[in-house]
Amino acid sequence: MKIICVVKIVPDVDSIVCDVENNILTGNAARMMLNPDDACALAFALGVKAGDPDCFVEVVSMGPMSVRPHMEDLLRLAVDRGTLISDPMFEGSDTLVTSAVLGRYIATRPFDCLLTGSHSLDGGTAHVPVQLAETLGLDQMLGIIRIDPHQFDSTRAVFEVEDEKTVTTYEMEMPCVLSVTRQSGYKLPYVSLSDMRRDVSDELVIITNQDLGFSETEVGPTGSRTKVVNRYPKTYAKKDRHIVGNDEEGISYVFNFLKQKGFL
Amino acid sequence: MKKTCIFQDTEKTENTTDLLEVAERIYGQGQFESHAVLLADSFDPLMGSFHHIIRVAKGLVDCYDPQGICDILENLHKKNRFDSILIPGTSLGEMIAPRLAKRLQTGLVAGVTDIKRAGDHTEIIRPAFSGKILEGVLHTGNGPVMMSIRPNAFEYKPGDPLQTVVSAYTEPVSSPSAVTRLHVKENRQTCDIRDSEVLIAGGGGVKESFSELYRLADALKGTVAASRKLVDQGIAPRSIQVGQSGKTVSPKLYMALGIHGSMQHMAGLRHIASLISINTAVNAPICSLSDIVVHGDAREFIDRLMKKIALYRS
Repeated sequence: MKIICVVKIVPDVDSIVCDVENNILTGNAARMMLNPDDACALAFALGVKAGDPDCFVEVVSMGPMSVRPHMEDLLRLAVDRGTLISDPMFEGSDTLVTSAVLGRYIATRPFDCLLTGSHSLDGGTAHVPVQLAETLGLDQMLGIIRIDPHQFDSTRAVFEVEDEKTVTTYEMEMPCVLSVTRQSGYKLPYVSLSDMRRDVSDELVIITNQDLGFSETEVGPTGSRTKVVNRYPKTYAKKDRHIVGNDEEGISYVFNFLKQKGFL
Repeated sequence: MKKTCIFQDTEKTENTTDLLEVAERIYGQGQFESHAVLLADSFDPLMGSFHHIIRVAKGLVDCYDPQGICDILENLHKKNRFDSILIPGTSLGEMIAPRLAKRLQTGLVAGVTDIKRAGDHTEIIRPAFSGKILEGVLHTGNGPVMMSIRPNAFEYKPGDPLQTVVSAYTEPVSSPSAVTRLHVKENRQTCDIRDSEVLIAGGGGVKESFSELYRLADALKGTVAASRKLVDQGIAPRSIQVGQSGKTVSPKLYMALGIHGSMQHMAGLRHIASLISINTAVNAPICSLSDIVVHGDAREFIDRLMKKIALYRS
């Protein structure tokens, strides 16, 4: 079985500083990490591979060359092929363009199933998995919390999706795009000490626009149909808070407040 | 006259009308023609609010098939040439909107929470970076303008009733998904935290005593909610999470027990009439939004308040 995991290296949102006056995010200074949902997708794929040595797992990502070390870290796991699609021309692409770029590369690769995360930490739109599926003419599902490993092969997958009120089990024909959430709890294995020291710098495949052949108007900001023009900090109206202790007096204050507002 | 197409909120049909508020903010009141596309049998709550209701004929498409639903919306767009297509950001909507945008080769703004008009421009506002900041997005290209709307972010106040024209969509779907629904199981949580007027919410400070919150919620006829911290640790289910990656809530009373109040949590608090926070740190961000801050341990607070309530009720 051949699985392609499509992942994104994202800034750790907790380390981002927003410079509102200059409308820039100092994301470059932020710590980068494998998007958590995507890590779950890869973890599931590696689990399948652990039980089936013939399984081939490729990890594909699109991003600047600066994410290279993160992609190399993934090669130190049991990943068979790592591919980074990177070209200055692609910078500033929206989801529509990103999915077209990823799709053009992936269409040249053999696969039975594409695994992705559902949401990314930074944008959080969940557009790319869906639009990638549309680009490749495949079915797709977001919000997967469990894939049945015994019903996952080159013909079909059985998996669970959680929404508001229900957990629904679906069966989908392969090839398709399955997008997993953090709630799945799939965890990446630790890298062994010997692998940690392994030099993998020759193993990562770099794909540029020379390989893909997009025209300049098709990609980057010019090819995109949406443009971020402003960034606003979130502000909240502060209230005149009344601080009380966790004692008889404080509890009475809360109690009277609740009574006065009709909650009791 | 501008034309807007609004897809049904499949989780709560009556909330479909809230998307009219989005259209009004873009085009102005009475300046657009609204088309609602419905899969549901019941459309009574939408009568009088939309100019057109297009009902998809029964059996044409499975309600969980994004490809099939996209076919229908794409066809309707070819016929009607909508200026905008608005899709509720439900789990189904999140799978329909990007696919349709790709087919129509148009831009899509996801999880929209606000609209700003500046001259001829419509700036579409959405939270980004886990709700840390708001992004203002412009739609470039020929359109239609496509958005998915964050549930509960807009509220529509109906004006004079319209003469709604109801029509049926009967064209067969050309490319349905190869997906089968095997079975559906009810989630443990039956009450939606978005419907509750009283929310008793817990954060990292109550991870040892989260179950205690249910006692207080029962006493105040409320519902228990949680911050991301407890959800990520598996202590609370995702369905009761408040925040950017959870739900947006507007209860009358929000009690925040052991919640720090990160940006991503506050992104889920919309209209809160009264906020009481119980925290060992009085300078936690959530405390600055509170009416009352109780300085202390949440579990002791629950015990003491429960005693007081029990005494009052007896």
